Amino acid sequence: MSQHFSRRQFLQMSGAVAAVSALAACAAPVAAPQAGGEAGAAAAAETVQLKWDTFRGPGTGWNEERIETFVQENPNVEIEFRPLTGASQQDNYGKMYSMFAAGDLGDVVAFDPSHYHFWRAIGGNIIGPIDDYIASDNLDLTQWFEQFIGLQTYQGNIYGLPSWGWAGQDTLVLNAVHFEQEGIELPDPVGHETSMATYGEWARKFYNDGERFGLSFPFGEASLVVLCRAFGGDLIDVEGKKSLLLDSPEAQEGLRWLYTMAVEEKILPAQGDFAAAQLEGRITMNWGGSLNVRNFKRDIKDETIAKAHQGLFPTDANGKFPSQIRGGTWNILRESAHPQEAFAFLKHITNTDGCYSFNLVAGQGAFVRPDVVQKLIEQDPVHEWFIPNLENGIPAHAPANSRGREYTDACAQYLTLLLDPNQPVPFEQGLQDLHDNIQQVLDMEPAA
Amino acid sequence: MATAAQAIPAKPAKTQRSARQRRENFYGYLFLTPWLIGFFGLFIGPGLASLYLSFTNYNIIGESKFIGLDNYVHMFTEDDLFWASLGRTFYFACASVPLSVLGSMFLAILLDSKLRGVAVYRTLFFMPSLVPLVASVILWKWLLDADFGIVNQGLREIGVDDPPGWFVDRRMAIPSLIIMRLWTSIGGTQMIIFLAGLQGIPTELYDASAIDGANTWQRIRSVTIPLLSPTIFFNTVLGIIGALQTFAAAFLLTPEGGGPAFATWFYALHIWKNAFDYFEIGYAAALAWFFALIIIGLTIFQQWLSRRWVFYYGE
Repeated sequence: MSQHFSRRQFLQMSGAVAAVSALAACAAPVAAPQAGGEAGAAAAAETVQLKWDTFRGPGTGWNEERIETFVQENPNVEIEFRPLTGASQQDNYGKMYSMFAAGDLGDVVAFDPSHYHFWRAIGGNIIGPIDDYIASDNLDLTQWFEQFIGLQTYQGNIYGLPSWGWAGQDTLVLNAVHFEQEGIELPDPVGHETSMATYGEWARKFYNDGERFGLSFPFGEASLVVLCRAFGGDLIDVEGKKSLLLDSPEAQEGLRWLYTMAVEEKILPAQGDFAAAQLEGRITMNWGGSLNVRNFKRDIKDETIAKAHQGLFPTDANGKFPSQIRGGTWNILRESAHPQEAFAFLKHITNTDGCYSFNLVAGQGAFVRPDVVQKLIEQDPVHEWFIPNLENGIPAHAPANSRGREYTDACAQYLTLLLDPNQPVPFEQGLQDLHDNIQQVLDMEPAA
Repeated sequence: MATAAQAIPAKPAKTQRSARQRRENFYGYLFLTPWLIGFFGLFIGPGLASLYLSFTNYNIIGESKFIGLDNYVHMFTEDDLFWASLGRTFYFACASVPLSVLGSMFLAILLDSKLRGVAVYRTLFFMPSLVPLVASVILWKWLLDADFGIVNQGLREIGVDDPPGWFVDRRMAIPSLIIMRLWTSIGGTQMIIFLAGLQGIPTELYDASAIDGANTWQRIRSVTIPLLSPTIFFNTVLGIIGALQTFAAAFLLTPEGGGPAFATWFYALHIWKNAFDYFEIGYAAALAWFFALIIIGLTIFQQWLSRRWVFYYGE
């Protein structure tokens, strides 16, 4: 029996396929419920399967080692390692949010506070508090630096455990060779006695037109925050609702200090690869962080050109060291079917061995545990320099509306405008623009 | 009688043709099916979905709410970066496309000559277009680095005290991107298309013009360019669409993308930022649909305009 198969019918069928596709795509916005609940409880007696989605460590062997050692201790648990390999760390969040919307996000994930997605993930009910598990486990939280546990805490609840982190752009990476050549005594690498005025003087002294820059400063939110703090002010308030630039004479003094050198005297380099330039002996003081100090020391090939040292910023009125405690969290999916096992795995990847091996194989600055820093000091005493700020640093303040990415963009773009030596804007106008645009972001509707 | 006799055998023949036709139709559609699935499933479906999303506040993780024209109203009335990024994008397209099209056309004319080793020249000029975009951005950032780049070092050597800041200078950032684009596009695919177009021009027209005493420039003006006008049109349309979609170089130039101080914050980057950095998918969809309409409108306008200047030989 032959069946008539007309163009009209074919097109009707195709149209139906298109309509179904469109409707399916339109339905995607509704966040799908995650698996869990009773099904999870029923499965608990059997083999538990956890999914681990991470952009931390893929390709280094660290993840595999952690899974292997965990499964040896917990034979009833299977862990599926699902590496996220976006071109940059930031690229992975879109995928993670999409996986969540599709109901496929792993049990153990990392929404990094450094990228401001930690708070968004809490606001979006993606990750859940772990206080109950900590309490029932009697977990000793003092095994981590207090600052980094503080960073896991939001509105009274703890949402993760850290295995990496740092104190932000809290140092000047110094080339000791230039200091020796000029006969200037190097600052104490763990001291906070050197004033910002002295650093400014050095920036001018070391500047040699066309050959060397005394100071380089990255135009970003991370360095801007620490600049304000180095002068005793801050960029935004603790609640993350208000820009402090116009209310804080200290923050303004910091920006004026930088503006004078960048715009009026034109002795700062344009944005570029400062680390490479410093290795070539073309920058004396590079505003960075402990990681930069460590990497600078590691990458030096010729100690007649460059030798690593660091300078810290003056202590603030509260006795705190200007810094911005950043990074470091592993979280549990709020609707995980196996939160208990996920928590056990969280402890496993953030314990001494987990942190230490992560630091070694992934080359990260996993300075969140005093015992790990001690182990690292045994390998290279330079790690000792980083302890004071890890112990007594100042946490990052996040926008209350979870608009972290808009916030960092506003900081970077308007700071560049303020400090543009090619088409200078008056300081007051640049400051006002920076303030207004940061405040505009803080006033936006919550992101999640 | 004769008519009836002819009609009787005609019937099975008709049935046979229909069966064959049906079979052919079936296989035709069968072979078309993968493309149709792709077209409807991956293009029309998501396209319609994004149109719907442009009327919502969808942000992936939250509830999606229909908000009517709010995204479009916000775009036109509240988003400072919308008009600014659109303006920058058109500036880039208006400056880079004519230079790129003219440059590749004249290069193709030069490389169309019967010189010895012309194939080597064609290869050499084509090579920059083979460099991956990310690599070429890194290369040009290195070359044009304001303080440590080779170009400015050279300029200082010859006595230029205050060389341009290139990518870090707000005024020079887009011209620098244009230079970078010309490096890859003049000798690239456009040149190959022009070469193909040139080889389609009948040689007798050149012979006739030579007999009439036309010099090289007159031959180019009166023979080459008119007969190359369909190719010019094609390259211009594709060039404008490509330039309007400029994204990667601006994204890679500065750590946050789009800098310095928004100088390279193009429209495509604005869409990307909203979609994949801020996760304002609904708003990004509205931006994208408006942009699609602009590109479609521009292409239709160019099509209409082409009637006045594009000459199809033999029509």
